[in-house]
Amino acid sequence: MLKVKAGDLDKMGLLFERYHRPLYGFLFHMTYQREASEDMVQQVFYKMLKYRHTFTGTGEFIHWMYSIARNSLKDQGKRKKLQMQQEGVEEMADRLPGGTIPDEQLERKQAKLELYKAMEKLSDDHREVLTLNRFQELKHQEIAQILNISEVAVKTRVHRALQELKNIYTNTER
Amino acid sequence: MKCEEYEALFAGWIDKELTPAEQTKLEQHLTDCAGCREELAAMQQLWDVMGEVKTPEPSDHMRVKFQAMLDTYKESVEDKKGSFAGIKDQLNRLWQWQPRWPLAYSLAIVLISFGCAYLFFNTGKGSKQDEQLKELTSQVHELKQTMMLALLENPSASERIRGVSYTSEIKHADKEVIDALLATLNNDPNVNVRLSTLDALSHLASHPEVREGLIQSIVQQDSPLMQSAIADVMLKLQEKKSVKSFRELLKQKNLDPGVKDKIKQTITQLI
Repeated sequence: MLKVKAGDLDKMGLLFERYHRPLYGFLFHMTYQREASEDMVQQVFYKMLKYRHTFTGTGEFIHWMYSIARNSLKDQGKRKKLQMQQEGVEEMADRLPGGTIPDEQLERKQAKLELYKAMEKLSDDHREVLTLNRFQELKHQEIAQILNISEVAVKTRVHRALQELKNIYTNTER
Repeated sequence: MKCEEYEALFAGWIDKELTPAEQTKLEQHLTDCAGCREELAAMQQLWDVMGEVKTPEPSDHMRVKFQAMLDTYKESVEDKKGSFAGIKDQLNRLWQWQPRWPLAYSLAIVLISFGCAYLFFNTGKGSKQDEQLKELTSQVHELKQTMMLALLENPSASERIRGVSYTSEIKHADKEVIDALLATLNNDPNVNVRLSTLDALSHLASHPEVREGLIQSIVQQDSPLMQSAIADVMLKLQEKKSVKSFRELLKQKNLDPGVKDKIKQTITQLI
């Protein structure tokens, strides 16, 4: 990224290759909408180009990338949220393997579907921290940097998020 | 320690980020506390199910879109530099051209007038004076011509029109001037420049090559304004050879209907 900042804009292509997948994953779990997520990936990369002078190089590139992505999410935000959730569940249900499958797998499929539904009902903060921790497989310390909170706060938030998720999950199961 | 305090370690436990000391501490508590054990197990299960969640892959055209975006962005950055350089360039040209020609022109005229006065007062009458006068006149003429040609290359349309208008001052237009005017007539992007060029050329119609050039130009004009103007000129000159070119023009599909009528009329009048 420092090279991009120095004017070598082609290096942005390299960064795109390396990071567009995880970035897309993060945005997808935050919105549950494929196209909107793709648009936002594009937007984030555009912002990184445009504001490349603000990259200081003191922190990791991905922390900077995620903070830009979070801002985009905030901008995009809440107005579309309801319709997104509706589409999201259907989207996910479609993506789960179907056809004739043994009971056990059926159960797991059911469990996953329930989980998706539960994830969607989580508050944004909690879904965010779980997405980063579980799906993006980032360490607590890294999440702390992205969210700009302490590491202890991250751990507490992960715990609270799991508790909330568990409550929603068990409630919908019955 | 109370259960709540241990809970801070839960997140670390399931993510396997605990230090060995923390781990033993938690394990000890878990053997004693069924509540925490149960809660942690439930969380671990949830965590495992989450691990099976697959994140969808982004589609391939995202890469294409990104590349397009990057390219456009690069172009816009270069454009900024480019347009800046362009302005600088034009400024430079302004400095170079604007003062140079008029200045040279005025200076030359001043010198020539001095020269004339000198000749008038100091040398005797007769053929020698006439000869020198003639020479000077031809020099002025040449100067005008050079200036006109230079103005025709100017990026500003109004400057080019000014250049075209100089032709009226050139009494004996030579081939170079006519060629430059015909090129302007056929290629200038600005319709007003072309119109005034046509006007200037119609005054030079005594030259056969001008007539020839005008006839050839008929099919090259795509603006209805130019097409009807050129028809007027041909009618005025009573140029019968142009009929063939007009017929050719009539074959063009996107010809303006008004122009079509006018050209048909012109043809009947010419024949």
